[in-house]
Amino acid sequence: MKRYIYILLTILAVCGSACRKINIPPPNIIQNPDVFSNTAGIQAYMARLYSQLPIEDFRYSPQRGLNFFWIISPTPATTGEALSRDQTNSMQENFGGWNWDIWGGSYTVIHDCDYFIETLPTYAKDFTPAQVNAWLGEAYFVRGMTYFALVKRFGGVPIVNKTLQYTVGSDPGTLKVPRSSEKAVWDQVASDFDFAIANLPAVNADYGDGSRANKYVAAAFKSRAMLYAGSIAKYNTATLFDGSQNQLCGIPASAAAGYFQQAVDAAKTLDGVYSLYLKAWSATDKAAQYQNFVNLFSDATSPESIFVREYQYPNSVHGYDAYNVPRQLIGPNGYSSEVNPTLNFVEMFDGIPKNANGTIQYLDGTGHYVLYNNTMDLFANAEPRLRASVILPGDAFKGQNIEIRRAIYTGASAGGISPLLPAGSKSQYPSTNLVQSANAGQTAFTLPDGTTMNPAGASGIFTGDQTCAISGFSVRKWLDPNLATSQVLENNEAQTWVEMRYAEVLLNRAEAAYELGDGTNITDAFNIINQIRSRAGAIPLASPGVMTIDTIRKERRKELAFENKTYWDLRRWRIFDKEQNGTIYRVLMPFYSSTAGKYFFDARTDERNDVYTYDPKWYYEQIPGGAISKSPNLIQNPGY
Amino acid sequence: MKKTLYYMAFCLVAIAGSSCSKTDNYPAPSNTITGSTVDAGTGNTVQTEIGSRGTRVKLLETSYSSDPTPYYFQSMQDGTFNDTKIFAATYKVSVEGPFVPLVQTDNIGNVTSDQSQTITIKGTSTVTTLNFKVEPFLRVDWVGQPVFNADSTVTVQFKITRGTANANYQQDITNINLYVSNTKYDGDNNYDPRYSNLVSYSGTDGTSLIGQTITLTTTGGALPQQDVYFRIGARINARLDEYNYSTPVSIKYP
Repeated sequence: MKRYIYILLTILAVCGSACRKINIPPPNIIQNPDVFSNTAGIQAYMARLYSQLPIEDFRYSPQRGLNFFWIISPTPATTGEALSRDQTNSMQENFGGWNWDIWGGSYTVIHDCDYFIETLPTYAKDFTPAQVNAWLGEAYFVRGMTYFALVKRFGGVPIVNKTLQYTVGSDPGTLKVPRSSEKAVWDQVASDFDFAIANLPAVNADYGDGSRANKYVAAAFKSRAMLYAGSIAKYNTATLFDGSQNQLCGIPASAAAGYFQQAVDAAKTLDGVYSLYLKAWSATDKAAQYQNFVNLFSDATSPESIFVREYQYPNSVHGYDAYNVPRQLIGPNGYSSEVNPTLNFVEMFDGIPKNANGTIQYLDGTGHYVLYNNTMDLFANAEPRLRASVILPGDAFKGQNIEIRRAIYTGASAGGISPLLPAGSKSQYPSTNLVQSANAGQTAFTLPDGTTMNPAGASGIFTGDQTCAISGFSVRKWLDPNLATSQVLENNEAQTWVEMRYAEVLLNRAEAAYELGDGTNITDAFNIINQIRSRAGAIPLASPGVMTIDTIRKERRKELAFENKTYWDLRRWRIFDKEQNGTIYRVLMPFYSSTAGKYFFDARTDERNDVYTYDPKWYYEQIPGGAISKSPNLIQNPGY
Repeated sequence: MKKTLYYMAFCLVAIAGSSCSKTDNYPAPSNTITGSTVDAGTGNTVQTEIGSRGTRVKLLETSYSSDPTPYYFQSMQDGTFNDTKIFAATYKVSVEGPFVPLVQTDNIGNVTSDQSQTITIKGTSTVTTLNFKVEPFLRVDWVGQPVFNADSTVTVQFKITRGTANANYQQDITNINLYVSNTKYDGDNNYDPRYSNLVSYSGTDGTSLIGQTITLTTTGGALPQQDVYFRIGARINARLDEYNYSTPVSIKYP
């Protein structure tokens, strides 16, 4: 009996002491002080905000969204910059496919920014005022970027600048924030960036390498955003109003000039802080100009890189080279040749023989093919920036000549070779007199002189298997020439993505200035375009008078090609549906004439007859149905 | 022991059975809305495209909310529509497509005219017929029959006229296309690019062809020996840039 009493007392003692301390914070849940009272906690918070920053980098494609590893429907294959075997038509972004929740994901980031902005001041005593201001500036920067990502897709979206709290029993209707007008959201983007500009230092104190924001980063993105808003005000035609006359889609045209002016002003603040990359450049040496343009994407100390996204093996990786190397340099786990620049893109550049209408000249005066000893002869004087962006047939990369050949032509060549097909034909090439290969397993053809040659080049073009340079070109930009072929693997690369570089800021300024359109602005635009052109090795423009808005747009498309920028430019200029209107893009097919022992080229439309038609309603994306179910206040965009 | 098992089994059956009976006590929708979009000027149905860029019917179920989430269904390509799975309720119905909108707003979003029709459906298996008189942006009419040429291409003739005098919808014609397809579901989202003849116009070039007999010939050489359908699409930069179409026609390969 005594024993039972002892046991009972022991239990009471244990329970009693346990009870005293039950009101302690759960140690397995991270509390505000854990995060907000020390720099390591702040850094962890920032790491997440930046990792979710919506930028279209190495891991973005319209098909699979942001932060996705598998990039086989690459963005350039939706814009006419390139063709890809896995992307065969125009498309709007595929929200809801794969793991992409653009709506919920963006509002999660906005919530995280709001929470940071509301909570950090409580812990301000633990840090210096400069630290607190800088971090708040970064949170505003990330929030501005996220609203920018939403408004460029959807038009007006709900503005939620404080964390929403639900208390049981309260009216949940207050959580269903309706869409604001498109103009209000662009103004929100501007004001978030303005706060960041005012509060961030010139160099980020935590990471000064451009991977985190400083005031100039915010100003650079402000110039991009305001140029976007100005373009919408000027060129958009679709409109949508809610019941209280808020314009959810579209901005009054009268607002355009104000936005363009803000873009110019923001861009000008970067003057003298960043500069165009010219480390390897020489005014007289095209090879140096080429090398300089190649290096600018890989030099970590480039004064042109303003904002970058860094990767690190194995935590955060991409596979750009694996998807995009030419076929003959294919990596151990396959892929290759996903981005094959179109002839339409290549023809924008200087230094290639052209007809009066701007198309490439490959026929002589008598209507026969021009013959070349080497495929690169056609491009002997090509603009260095073209070579640094596109691997031309026969050009050198990683110590090899990238061999691109459609077939061997065995017909007679005396007196000239006439075109294989009538001009404009969309038919397949006739198989008579052509020796072709269906895939990379080729059977060599014996030439009249007894030597042998494969029918197609080592990098294509193959008639059956499209893992090759289907357009006659392969992409060069971003490829790492020092990456060993054994390392050309998916999820294995850590090359830095340059999201914002000074060339874009200059081009933003030139375009906005030209849109404003008085004498000084046009001269400013002219000077900028010539700076960009001379760095690229292109022929400078003669005078401001020869410039049109198309000159500036074309320069931008050439300079920023394959950087996932053109997709957004075509949208904001509202010309996507004009360019992709039953469009079949053009390709350039190199052939070898066995009887002449020389090469010739044939320009034609894509042999696969892939038709691109952009639906104008896509300028405003469809708000995900799930978001509307949760908040029926959200009015759907027109046409969905 | 056995008895207990029986009891348990019995209980399970009773629970399972009673829970099943309440899964769905609402009858399936069985009412039909059918009808057509008719050109107010000619009385013909307004030809459109199959799929998301064609005419669609918009239902606003106003029984429970003055501002409901709209429900849409697509029209058929000949301009008729039919949906046999409609719940009994009150609906405000309109159509959207390549014609002057039935619900018009001014430049700050105020509704200035609303030709929607409100219907109340009661009971089951009813059929409600609705016809909407609209003004298409453009009318595309054949002139004669397609002609089979000696080189096995086909030449067609047609006329384009404006279907509306509304000053807001007099934009220039941007595209006049001859679509060739091997089915009658021929249109901007379904055609053979090898033979179709797509023509874009800038400025007033396309508009100047209004009222004239236009001649287009298929491209890309001889047509293949199979069923072939022709259709003309034309559009102005209005609304969502949808096309107005002619009827599809077929000709026999001689």
